[in-house]
Amino acid sequence: MVRISKALLKEATTGLSRTLSEILVCPLSKQPLRVCEETGSIISDSIGVSFPIKDGIPCLVPKDGKILDIDDTLKDDGADDDGATKRN
Amino acid sequence: MASLQLCLPFSSTSRFRYRPVRCANERQALFNRIAPVYDNLNDVLSMGQHRIWKRMAVTWSGVKSGDNVLDLCCGSGDLAFLLSEKVWPAGKVTGLDFSEDQLSMASSRQDLLSKVCYRNIEWVEGDALDLPFSDCFFDGITMGYGLRNVVDRRKALQEMFRVLKPGSRISVLDFNKSTQPITATIQEWMINIVVVPVASGYGLAEEYEYLNSSIKEFLTGKEQEKLALEVGFSTAKHYEITGGLMGNLVAMR
Repeated sequence: MVRISKALLKEATTGLSRTLSEILVCPLSKQPLRVCEETGSIISDSIGVSFPIKDGIPCLVPKDGKILDIDDTLKDDGADDDGATKRN
Repeated sequence: MASLQLCLPFSSTSRFRYRPVRCANERQALFNRIAPVYDNLNDVLSMGQHRIWKRMAVTWSGVKSGDNVLDLCCGSGDLAFLLSEKVWPAGKVTGLDFSEDQLSMASSRQDLLSKVCYRNIEWVEGDALDLPFSDCFFDGITMGYGLRNVVDRRKALQEMFRVLKPGSRISVLDFNKSTQPITATIQEWMINIVVVPVASGYGLAEEYEYLNSSIKEFLTGKEQEKLALEVGFSTAKHYEITGGLMGNLVAMR
């Protein structure tokens, strides 16, 4: 019963609850975050880093962030879109 | 359930050893390793008293129904569950820890316990030194057995101050680094003679030997009060409990 309730509270595509979506900010810049539905990760545009979500738990430890490719941050410029590739 | 194999007090495997300070990665790995037996050992080693200490910490935080609160270094969630009962129905609890395995235990316990009020708890994997929350956000913050384990206590207190609403309190429970020689000796003796042998029955002797060195490197109650005031808290008071074995810092922004 609780599991079903929790599932209803989560965004269907992202696995992050509405509550968390509203309160979390970038751990380093303290700027707003956005959820990338394609990769199911949390993006900090202010520092160009993505953070994973595992089983609905956002992982915002700075050292676990992945630096985004420049392509991911130039979406509006019509640059080559190779998908959301990320450097490890 | 692991069987308890008590070691002889003065055997070579339980010599009184003081391990050096560990970096954050090592501490994270340590807490991941002890996660499966953490709750069980807390009960055994404190004879259930940790539940009382944690209730006291929650009371000292001053949180009430409807509050939005944060539990740092939440581990398997003991304090978060207590906070949830206090802030229910309209309040929310966020539990943050850097150990994925501890958070997994907390999430599983939340499902298993299935109390209605526990639905207001959210778990976040994060670093107490770089909190992913806005300024002046929380009505109360607790931290249980965390301040002694962070690598930069000033920064941890600064972050707690930053995300706390003015007029609200932090309540930080931990071992007390006593200035009384007898208390310090008894505390060290209890860890070496009781805690470590019991932990060794779970294959975790080394992990719990870490306790004594971490207490030696910790701040006294007065030092914690001084640091909290330096960071910007308007008041700070450290209370000793259980004969000085444990302590609780209460500070208001």
